Amino acid sequence: MGDLILKNLTIRYGGEAVVSDFNLEVRNGEMVSLLGPSGAGKTTVLKAVAGLIQPQKGEIFIDGQPVHDLAPEKRSAVMVFQKTLLFPFLNVEQNIAFGLRMQGHKDANARRRIEQILQLTELTGLGRRKVHQLSGGQQQRVSLARALVLKPAVLLLDEPLSNLDANLRQQMRELIQDIQAETRITTLFVTHDQAEALMISHRVCLLLNGRLRQTGKPRELFYLPADPEVARFFGGCNFIQGRVKDGVFCSQFGNVPAPEVNGNGHLRTATIRPEDILLSLDTKYDLHGKISKTNFEGSATRIWVKCKDTRFVVLTSDIDFKPGQSVRIHLPPEKIRIFPSETESD
Amino acid sequence: MRSLKQNIISTAVITTVLLPFAVLMMWSFSNRWFYPELWPRQWGFRAWDYVFGTAGFQIITALVQSMLVALVTALMSVAIGLPAGRALGLYEFKGKDLISVILTLPVIVPPLCVAMGLHFWFIKMGLASTFLGVVLVHLTFCLPYSVFVLWGVFSNYNPDYEAQARSLGASSWKVIFRVMLPLTFPGIMVAGLFSFLLSWSQYLSTLIIGGGRVTTLPVLLFALMGSGDRPVAAAVSIVFVVPAFVALLFSARYLGGKSIAGIR
Amino acid sequence: MNTHNKNLSTHTDARTRESPGFAATSLLVAPALLVVVGLFGGGLVLGLIQSLAPLPTAGADVLTVEHFANVLSDPDFLHSLMLTLYVSATSTAIAAAFSIFLALVLVSIAKKYRLVHFIFQIPLTVPHLVIAVAVVFMLSPTGFFSRLAVKFGLIDSSAAFPLLINDRWGVGIILAYVWKEVPFITLMILAVLRHTGVELLEVGRTLKAGPWQRFRYITLPTISPSLGAACLIVFAYSFGAFEVPFLLGQSYPMMLPVWAYKNYSDVDLLARPEGIATGIIIAGVIIVAIVLSQTLIQAARRRGTVL
Repeated sequence: MGDLILKNLTIRYGGEAVVSDFNLEVRNGEMVSLLGPSGAGKTTVLKAVAGLIQPQKGEIFIDGQPVHDLAPEKRSAVMVFQKTLLFPFLNVEQNIAFGLRMQGHKDANARRRIEQILQLTELTGLGRRKVHQLSGGQQQRVSLARALVLKPAVLLLDEPLSNLDANLRQQMRELIQDIQAETRITTLFVTHDQAEALMISHRVCLLLNGRLRQTGKPRELFYLPADPEVARFFGGCNFIQGRVKDGVFCSQFGNVPAPEVNGNGHLRTATIRPEDILLSLDTKYDLHGKISKTNFEGSATRIWVKCKDTRFVVLTSDIDFKPGQSVRIHLPPEKIRIFPSETESD
Repeated sequence: MRSLKQNIISTAVITTVLLPFAVLMMWSFSNRWFYPELWPRQWGFRAWDYVFGTAGFQIITALVQSMLVALVTALMSVAIGLPAGRALGLYEFKGKDLISVILTLPVIVPPLCVAMGLHFWFIKMGLASTFLGVVLVHLTFCLPYSVFVLWGVFSNYNPDYEAQARSLGASSWKVIFRVMLPLTFPGIMVAGLFSFLLSWSQYLSTLIIGGGRVTTLPVLLFALMGSGDRPVAAAVSIVFVVPAFVALLFSARYLGGKSIAGIR
Repeated sequence: MNTHNKNLSTHTDARTRESPGFAATSLLVAPALLVVVGLFGGGLVLGLIQSLAPLPTAGADVLTVEHFANVLSDPDFLHSLMLTLYVSATSTAIAAAFSIFLALVLVSIAKKYRLVHFIFQIPLTVPHLVIAVAVVFMLSPTGFFSRLAVKFGLIDSSAAFPLLINDRWGVGIILAYVWKEVPFITLMILAVLRHTGVELLEVGRTLKAGPWQRFRYITLPTISPSLGAACLIVFAYSFGAFEVPFLLGQSYPMMLPVWAYKNYSDVDLLARPEGIATGIIIAGVIIVAIVLSQTLIQAARRRGTVL
């Protein structure tokens, strides 16, 4: 087991910089997800850690040792690819044993390890199966087992769940979480699914356009996004403009105490999550609004409300609202997140 | 990144492939070339004059004969092989393995054996020394190749295109000609090309069944080799290889950059 | 928990439908089968019958194995058989080795070298006869390479040039076959390598396999099926081919197909059944070789050997 440190990593692909000056630290035993839309460079970072791609600049340390000059075969990092890529000419057990065989372990010890891993990944009894006889979920688990059995210092997972259907994905998520908790293996997990990242990681690292936007615990990214783009990525869509004056954020929707936000007299943007906005048909609240559209989405209803020329999106489990209704809106001050700095100049 | 090793190998490959042709070309354009000269002492067109002039009729006739036999063989091979390849590629049914074995045998057993066996009976049936007889004996091993190629094509074929066309009102014939054929065209080209080339280069089976009456180019070429006239032999060899080469170019255009073996 | 094992096809575009009924399927497949069984099967069977043809001295209905006996007991037969096996096996092995090497090089060269790829396919279209003629012009004692040797002062007369055609080692024959077969085998291997090879190698690297290990345990098993099939086809072809050995082989011992035809076309009609019998034997040897290799492969697979 070990920690993983990426320092000032710059990787070019076909002339373009896919990631620049990327820094990341994954502590021993942590599961960190690298989150971002498809094509944002996440897989490239993973491949660089695995040694399959050479970064143009930067350093990689596993367990304190620099590995950026080591071939993939010599690094203590194993990558699990998005396509399961099981060897079609080997059965399940032989696939799992592959890495051990390459390292020369063929003894009873190796056999024991393989048995343990089969149990851990819920594949007991399937050792003799041929690859094409397995279901998608089973193939994924063999792929995982094949990597885990080598007990690498760092486990690299490249969107392992995106090829599975929704139900299976949930089961696999839980399995990965359980395995990681039990083995405490340092894991870097790439995904484009923000719900997934929030669900299983200790920390999330959001990558947009090749740049690291925010790193932190899932709750932090969700409730305390660093900037509007991050907020939007997690489904936030209500943005309010206002001005900070003497520690108070003033907008047309009211004033919110904002002691940590600096910049006196400057324009600032704030956001509030759809789930946090409160609506009422009676006159409980002060702000007036009109519902333009509602959408029933199962566990919640999405409501579009117009208030003072701003469209708010509200998520509520209340089903009494209809388009055209006049409502009263409340934006609880403690749920309003004011972004620390403006990206544009004033 | 062009590496030195890749360059060396590329050059080696190109040289190995083209050297025989260079030698043939030199011989065909030589009037006087004695040992141990590296180049002909005297270049000239004697052999080519002979090929297109004196023996022109004989050679052109043989060329046309080869062309006709190969084309007819290819057409029949594809026509019969297409439905079989479609059934084998699209549907699951018992006996596929057996059929596979049956079709593999003519591919591996030499034409020599089959031709010798068939000759006597072709004589009895009046097929010996006929165009049709030669085509039939060529078909024996060209057809399995076609079936295998088209089997592969139809394994990757999506019949939903046909269903879609039908639901848009197309009749069965329209579906065949406007949907299936265009979609499988590259594969059909390859199957036809294989059959054409196979038939084109046949010597012994043509000789046995054709009995000297059906004179194709290889039969003629063989006879010329015995005469010891190297320039003429070289010229006829070139004439023999050019149409095959042209066939490759022709189908390469339709295959759009895939290699012959790229069709799975 | 999903306890059913879905049979996953690796071709996600392929749609396998249920057969539209015996009648319809037969209609589609029958013509091809009829042609093959009729012409090929018929040819072999009829050939067999002819090779068992009664001797003119015996009664007209008495089939005899005399012709086969004559062939098999002829000392020339054994020499020819050994020679032919040797030439086929050697040319196949050499071609396979070159092909594996070339395929590995070409797969990384990729599409940038369209020209090389195109030129590489040319031998596929060249009839064996033409390359045989060219080999004569290149390797005969008065051929191109002999003249080059004189130019560089290596030899001083044609007699000093090593015998490479019509020789006892079948060098010219083997070279002609190798020239023709390497592109064929290479392209068959390349098709597989391009499709699946590269990604599996990355997996191999991350699973701690070194370069030689990746070749032995990933690349080889991946190309084995195609390589094996191609080699069998090539071996079978070269074993039964006529033109190349006739032009480039020696007159004694003859290669088996040449010997068969010689007997078949002999003025002495008695030799004809022996020629056909030899042809049947050739077909038999090839079929046995194929069956044998398939059984060996199945057995190895069952034992779990990674081929």
